[in-house]
This record gives sequence, structure tokens and C-alpha cells, in this order.
Amino acid sequence: MEQTRKDSRRIEHRQGKYACTFRVNGKEVSVDASPMDRVVDLLRDGLHETGTKISCGIGRCGACSIWVDGRLTSSCLLLAYQVEGKEVTTIEGMGTEERCSIVQEAFMNEGGFQCGYCTPGMIMAAESLLRHTPDPDDEEIREGLSGNICRCTGYSGIIRAVKAAAANLQ
Amino acid sequence: MKQPEYQRRPDAVPKVTGSLKYLTDRFEENMLIGKVLRSEYPHARIKRIDTSAAEALPGVHAVLTHHDVPGLNRFGIVMPDQPVFCEDRVRYTGDAVAAVAAESAESADQALAAVVVEYEPLPVLDSVEKALTPEAEQLHENGNILHEASYTRGDLQQGFAGCTCIVEETYQLPRQMHGYMETEGGVVVPESDGGISVYMATQHGFKDRFQLSRILETPEEKIRIISSPIGGSFGGKDELNLQPYGALLALKTGRPVRVHNTREESIRAGLKRHPMAITMRTGADESGRVLAHETTIYADTGAYATLGPAILEFAVEHASGLYPIPNITTTGVSVFTNNGVAGEFRGFGGNQVTFALEGQMDRLAEKLGMEGTKLRARNMRKPSDTGPLGQGIAPTDGGRMILEDVTTWQQLPLSNAGETAWVKNGRGGAVSMHGGGLGYGRLDPSGGRLALTKEGKLEAAFGFEECGQGIVAVIETVMKGTFSCNEEDIEITIGDTNKVPVSGSTTASRGTSMVWTAVENMKASFRRQLLIEASRVTGTAAADLYLGAGGVHKRGAEPSLFLSYKALAEYVQDGDIETHTSFDFPVTPDEIDSGHYLYSFGGVSAEVEVNLLTGTVRVLDLKQSVSAGPVMYPQGYRGQIEGGGIMALGYTLMEDAVMQEGRYQTENFDTYLMPGVKDLPDNVTVKPREEVMEGDIHGPRGVGEIGTIAVAPAIAEAIYQAIGARPEKLPVSREWVLQQIQQRGLLPWNKPEKIPGG
Repeated sequence: MEQTRKDSRRIEHRQGKYACTFRVNGKEVSVDASPMDRVVDLLRDGLHETGTKISCGIGRCGACSIWVDGRLTSSCLLLAYQVEGKEVTTIEGMGTEERCSIVQEAFMNEGGFQCGYCTPGMIMAAESLLRHTPDPDDEEIREGLSGNICRCTGYSGIIRAVKAAAANLQ
Repeated sequence: MKQPEYQRRPDAVPKVTGSLKYLTDRFEENMLIGKVLRSEYPHARIKRIDTSAAEALPGVHAVLTHHDVPGLNRFGIVMPDQPVFCEDRVRYTGDAVAAVAAESAESADQALAAVVVEYEPLPVLDSVEKALTPEAEQLHENGNILHEASYTRGDLQQGFAGCTCIVEETYQLPRQMHGYMETEGGVVVPESDGGISVYMATQHGFKDRFQLSRILETPEEKIRIISSPIGGSFGGKDELNLQPYGALLALKTGRPVRVHNTREESIRAGLKRHPMAITMRTGADESGRVLAHETTIYADTGAYATLGPAILEFAVEHASGLYPIPNITTTGVSVFTNNGVAGEFRGFGGNQVTFALEGQMDRLAEKLGMEGTKLRARNMRKPSDTGPLGQGIAPTDGGRMILEDVTTWQQLPLSNAGETAWVKNGRGGAVSMHGGGLGYGRLDPSGGRLALTKEGKLEAAFGFEECGQGIVAVIETVMKGTFSCNEEDIEITIGDTNKVPVSGSTTASRGTSMVWTAVENMKASFRRQLLIEASRVTGTAAADLYLGAGGVHKRGAEPSLFLSYKALAEYVQDGDIETHTSFDFPVTPDEIDSGHYLYSFGGVSAEVEVNLLTGTVRVLDLKQSVSAGPVMYPQGYRGQIEGGGIMALGYTLMEDAVMQEGRYQTENFDTYLMPGVKDLPDNVTVKPREEVMEGDIHGPRGVGEIGTIAVAPAIAEAIYQAIGARPEKLPVSREWVLQQIQQRGLLPWNKPEKIPGG
């Protein structure tokens, strides 16, 4: 699809953009994208789903963690063509302000966040861990969260939260 | 379901669901993307800047250089010495030369690449030593010394003459990065009155407004700073960063402009903790009384000042810490170099100097054949002792209390279940004292406002920022405790210069303390106003009414809720029920510049495990005892100490933003390692010691910094206990550990080599 046109925001689109179609939290979306656009940018700038954060941009910190077809991954290392037709789950799909998930409840109760910027990614990792390992031991918790950096809490509150969530999920 | 141990923070739900809009999450209609061109060289003359090619690119709306700054082309909280855009010279690779606004990030990047800057490289002063040589090029008008500070009392020579035991060491401290997860950025929106709204993180909105006013030549009233919530700061967003560029671009284009640093840009331009070289010579008599203490501090402050002078003064003040040593001479020099700018960072110079001081205490104790905790107890300050600069301070017994805990913890058996021929454990302890507020002689105003809003909320307004530390939880807790109301009754207003009163900066562990003091000041007036109005409205005597959950309650009535705040609000106009306070952070009565008045204390006990084969040091146990007055919000207090402790663990064992020839050797989190969850000790304990002296009127002291101070020396001593080698340089590298192991022949197949000087 090679064309130049203007969208509703009157932003001119370069040649080579195409309608990238995938599902986000169960809803089909279509975003103008070049195949090499990062998925984190599609979510944040294209769809204004800003719960997914951007911090290092090199897959080191986990702030942009999402699930693709249920698998935890860094959306800063994922390109548009890689999610074509896939099911993407973001923090917005985990729970709502009215109805938080058990993991989110635990993060609130146990001091699992401070500035909150790593929190969406951390919760995506924690939810993923607990779905695959419902009763994790200390080592499994650390392994499950090892792709996510938190600079505020020092992790103690996060570990308390994951343990409490695991107990509450039983 | 397990009951929550703590009350939840007011920002909990938006944070865990991802619905909270950070300032870098903002999207404005018609928004452009701004980018800043930084210097290619750590030190160079600018021969020519040509922006014509960049301007001609499609989608590019503005290309700015120093020609486009209407006001002062400089910023800096204390002395404006950092160019917004460099004119003829660059002094570090973070220096800005141009900025662009374009339709997309891609066009903006293309425009940056099209700006032609011709440089003539100059010799790079990449160390304090080089910058201090007589032939070194002068980086600023007044030379390469940013600031000198000193303190002296007694007679050093005479002091040392009475010592039977003297130790001397030079300690090297690294360039730590704040590592806030949200990089600098946000959106600037031009307003119809010619002013702007700046949606960008800072630790002091009014200070940003003042600095921007100076740069833009725009009255402060036309600048609105919206500065919370913040995805972490730790001091790093205290100084201006991208605000001037966003503002200038928005004014130039007449369109909202988003600027948001990538991590690489953030590291290149952002502040770091001051690298310091600290030499200490400390002597004691045979009973262990420290009689003389001499300290020399060299700080690499990088290319520009920001708060470098104050940080040096803080380090000089805290060089003798909790020990009222009779003979002291401390001198400090903060030196300009072509390295990255060093500035405000949690602990503010205290971390560096406490590592050195407590290192001295452990070296002295060993030489004297005493327990480290005993030597500290012998020299510990008394409640009525003056502060480290001889200034009067609020009486406190905090030092003794935290040392008591450390002493107990030091007796604990090592968790040496894992100890083998090649794994050695050790435990170490250290203590610290940390001043809160900005210090004597500095403007340090605070204040707050309470009001009944027309929606019937008890509004608590403060000029503080929410960086993650939980100031909103502190405000809520203090309000609930004071007025016995519910969370739902409270509206918290922060982080918007159009709405908040002057409260001073969200720095120096002052927020909690100032919120508590402000509400104490205002509570009687606010309560009286509410009750009198309720009395007038209902015709019930005010004496029969009291404030509580949901509204005004009546004594003896069942149910006691008599008039909701919402109903009461319907009878009054906005602003009818409102009270203000403004006051200064308490300072020492003695005219001693930069001296503090309120101190917090932190004691640390750390156990490590050293792997003799790999040189890996793992902290197994980290216990902290903190004396900072009463705890306001327990979850926040615990989180500050736990989080501060792990940040300091990183400082001790892994973090250093290495520079070579004025260039960062780290670009991102792959080459700058911060603690991950696997670095977390098996056990982390926080023990608040809440007791204050009888008659103390100052309430809570903040705990934002104290959890980061004494961790490094405690871990260093634990390493010594494990392998018999004392680190004097941070971070403690594996290479150094392996070298020590080799030299000491700790592995059965290694014969001890002669230890140089040992």
C-alpha cells in the first residue's frame, strides 16, 4: 500500500505506511504503521494506550512489558509486523479502576509500587508468572520478575505483593 | 482474603491499572515533536552553526539556536551558568546546540542530523587533576574551581599529638546515575494569552517557573508549571532539563510540543551523583576517643554548577557525622571538568563522606582492637551536643538509638549455612546522621492551604511534587489523623503552580516534615471556621459540633453525622472557608552557613556472602534502623528505607557511569547495571525508632534520603569481615575482590603473595 494521505489529525503519512491490524485486550484495532515501527509506539502514540511505558527502549528494563498471544514480551523490541493478526494484552486489559485484579490488589496492599512507572510492566510480569506458576517459590518469583527493573521500591514490596497474590489466588 | 497491612495510597488504583497519565503520556491535538541536538564533543569551540538545511526539510516547523532565546540564555538553580543553547563553546557532551520541532519524531531526527555544527575540539579536562593544573584551559570565567568550603575547630596538630592510633585512607566514590524509570519530558502548550503551560516533571514547580521566566523573558504569571505525577526523580529532575526547549519551541511554533528524552539522551545530558575523592586522617587515644579528624574532599562537578556548591557544603558539614570530635579540619573543593554534570541526588554529598567516615571508624577500631560498634558508642554524640559544624540543633538521641540496634544486630550469627571452602560470609555495621532542609542562610520557605471546596471536599494544597515517595499518602494520613475524616472527604492539590501555595522544594527530606507542620499550624483555624459555619447554618452551638468522617458531627446525636461537608459547602462561597500558613523550615539559631537543625539518623547492619571463585559479593541481609521522628505513613516509610537501601546496594556493588575522555561509556541500562530483583537480599528489615526528645515540637523528619547513607560502609565492613580486605573504592568490583583473594591466598590452591604495603 503505497500512498500519501492525511489523517483526521491532518498528519501527512509517508509512503509505505499500512494499516496494521491486531487485537488489543480483545478489541480489534487498526493502526497506520510502517512494518518497522515499534509496538510500544503503536500502543502509546497510535492508540493512546499509555499504560504501557517506555524507559530503556532496549529490552532491558521491562517497563513496556505486554503479552503477545499470552506470552510476556518487551514491546520496545517488537515490530509492527510481528503483532499483525495477534492478540496483544496490555495493563489496560488486566483490570479496571472499578475492578482490579488480585495481583493489582496485592501491589496496592503490600507497597509494590512507588512512582508507579515500572508498575504496569511489573504487573504484566507478575500476572504472567502466576498464570504459569500458581504457587511460586522465592526463586521462581525472582526468576519471573528478573526482566523488570524498579528503582523505587527495592523490590521487597513487590515480592510481598506477588506472595500475597499467589496466596489469594489459591 | 488477607487483610491489607497498610492503608492504600491515594494514587494506588491509577498506578496499578496503568490509567494514571504521567506528563510524558500526554497527547495534545496538533502536537509537534521536539528534539535537542547535543554537543558532539566534550570540549570544543563552535565555529559555525548552519540550520538552513534542517529548516528546509518537510515537516520541520522550527529550528532554534542561541539566537532564538529572548531572555537569559542560561539556567542553574543557584547560579545560572549552563547555556540553554551554547553560543561559541561546548563544555560537555550533554550541552545543547540546537533544538527542532517537527511533525514526527522521524522528521525531528532528520532535522537534527541536518543541522551543521562546525567544532574546533579543545583539550578535554576529564578529571579533577587535569582541571586543576595551572595550564588547564579555564572552563568558566572564574576558573575551574566551582566552590571551596571548609570547617575547622580545635587544633588539629595538637589533637593528633594526643593520639596513639592514626589511620589514613583515600576513598573513591563513583558517578551514580539516578535511574528514574521515566526519562525527562512532557508537553508544553502555548496559551491564548501568550503564556505557556509546561507539563513536565520537576521537584519545585515555582523554581522552574522562575527560571523559565528568565529565559523566555515572560512574566511568571504567564507560565504555568504542571509537574506531577513523576515517574521517579531522586534529585535528578530538580534542575531544569528539557523545559526550556519545549517552551521555546512551543512559543516559536504556536503549537503544543512534546519533548521526551530517550534513555540515551537522558544519560548523556542528565545529572549524576558527584564522584569524589575523599582523604581522611583520623586519630584516637588508646581508650578509643577520637581526638583529631582531617578531611580533604575533591568533587568532580562536571561542566556546570547546578547545586554543586551546596552539595560540597553538605559533605563538609557531615564529614564528622555523629561524632563530636574536638579537633577537626575539613576542606572541600568542587571542580569543573568536561565530564557529565554532577548535581543533586538523594543523600546530597552525605553518602560519599559517610562511606569515608565510617570506613575510618572501622579501620581505627581494628587498629585499637575494639569492636566497631564500641568505638562508635565511645564517640557518639549526646542529645544536647551541637551539630557537626558546632551549631545548635534540635536535641536528639537518634544516634544512640540506631547504634543500639546496629550493636544488637552485629551479634547475630552469620547465616553461614551456605558457607563452603569458597564462600565466605561477613557482617558489618555503620551509622549515619543526615540534615534535613536546605540549611542556614538559604531561602527555605514552606506553607500550605486548607479549604472547603464547593464540592464539599476538604482540600489540602501544597506546592510539593509526587515523585513516587508518597507525599500524597502523607498528606492524606495527616489530614485523616487531624480531622478524623475519611479519604473520600479529602481533595489533594499538588503539582500545579496555578493552584498551589508556596511550599518550597520537594527535596532535602523536607516534604513530610513540612506537611505535618503546615497542618499543625492550620488545624485550629480550619476547624473553627468549619464549625462556626456549621453552627450558623444549623443553629446548633458550635461547642456541640465536631469534625469527623463525612462531615460535621453532633455530640450525643445518633447517628452523630449531622451535616455533610457537601451540604455545608452549599451554604458557602468558594474561598469562604480557607486557611493558609507560610513559615520557614526550622534552622539553627547560630549564624553558621549551611548548618542544619533537624537531623535524621540511620544505622545499617549488612551480611554478605563473597564467592571466592567468582569475586561476587551478594548481600544476604540488610537491616536498617531509622530515627526520624514519628512515622506518618508506614507503607511509605518502609518503602523509602527498603528502596533507598537497594539503591545504595547498587552504589556499593555495581553502579558507576564511567566516563572516558569526557564521554559516557554507558549509554543505557545494558552498560549501567542497577540492582535487579535477584540482587535483593534474602532479608530486608526496617526498624523505625520513633521516639523524640521530651518537648520536641518538630514532628516527623523526612526519610527520603536516610535509607541510602550508611549502607555502603556497612557492606564494605561486611566484605572485610568475610575476606579480610577493605574496599576504599566504590563500586566494589569483582576484579578487586578476586585480586584481594589471590593476594591473601584464601583459596587452598593459592599461596599468599606479599600484600603491597601490608
